[in-house]
Amino acid sequence: MHDIYNFVSGTLVWVSFILFTGGCVYRFVSMAALAKKKDPVIYEYMSLRYALRSIFHWIIPFGSENMKMHPVFTIVTFAFHICLIFVPLFLFAHIILIKESWNISWWFLSDSIADVMTLIVVGSCIYFLVRRITQPEVKFLTSISDYLILAVVAAPFITGFWTYHQFPGHKFVGIIHILSGEIMLVAIPFTRLSHMIFFAFTRGYMGSEFGAIRHAKDW
Amino acid sequence: MKKKSWILYSIAVTAVAVVVVTAYSQENVKYVQDSAFKTKMRPGAVFLHDEHNEKAEIDDCGTCHHLYKDGVKIEDETSEDMECSECHKINGNPVPLVAKYHLRCKGCHEEKKAGPVMCSECHVK
Repeated sequence: MHDIYNFVSGTLVWVSFILFTGGCVYRFVSMAALAKKKDPVIYEYMSLRYALRSIFHWIIPFGSENMKMHPVFTIVTFAFHICLIFVPLFLFAHIILIKESWNISWWFLSDSIADVMTLIVVGSCIYFLVRRITQPEVKFLTSISDYLILAVVAAPFITGFWTYHQFPGHKFVGIIHILSGEIMLVAIPFTRLSHMIFFAFTRGYMGSEFGAIRHAKDW
Repeated sequence: MKKKSWILYSIAVTAVAVVVVTAYSQENVKYVQDSAFKTKMRPGAVFLHDEHNEKAEIDDCGTCHHLYKDGVKIEDETSEDMECSECHKINGNPVPLVAKYHLRCKGCHEEKKAGPVMCSECHVK
């Protein structure tokens, strides 16, 4: 058990963080180079003011017309993203592990709040899954990889909940929990999860074109 | 009258039981405890003091109950009569003290490749 635990909580953490940061830098640089080659107009039109204006409207719940048209989806997606980011970064158990390793720490959530937030993430994933299966316009755009990505995102939260509550097999699931977190981290730059790094730029470009060229709102 | 004496008898037995159990648990520690932890996030870490030290072959109390002065460990002195938090002060943030406990227990387990290292192995529900 010690060898497996040390490997997944030591070596593999380093490997996944290097792949995550390196992958993000690589994807970002190669995307910028590709845009320069194929879509140089992006650099001409990009405007900080209109980019920020658009991003601002799209990160506020119900800040866009599209969100007002789909209220349930808007609530679920905002709750999902907030919990998805807050739980791993501010979970007490994670803070302790970082404190033990690097002697640094920051603010943390209480375990009971983190527990509820974890369920929100898992529940949202189920909602997204059902949506993909039942909504024709979403189903049309769905491929196998979308289901896999949903599983990659849900896995760390399901296994984390499982180990925290010490359901049967929690030691084994604990190892899977660490592994699944690492897989998700590595998946961010190389899958559709890369909207984490590209969101500000795709939104920013739309805002720039609509704001500066078409003189229209894009929210 | 009969009923009353029966009640008194029950109370007396309960009181004795409570005293005995409390005294016993102070003699033989079962959980890692520190009064500085006001709200507990997890169940206390299971720790059978005597059995652990016999198995781990720890004779020197100062291995855990160490005493430092100006950053230097005092070799002949130990601190069994103190709580860890008397030196490792909490000051409103439990993180540093929790980490100290973890490094003392889990750190040694990792070093010796023996004993529990994962959260749920010690903080048993």
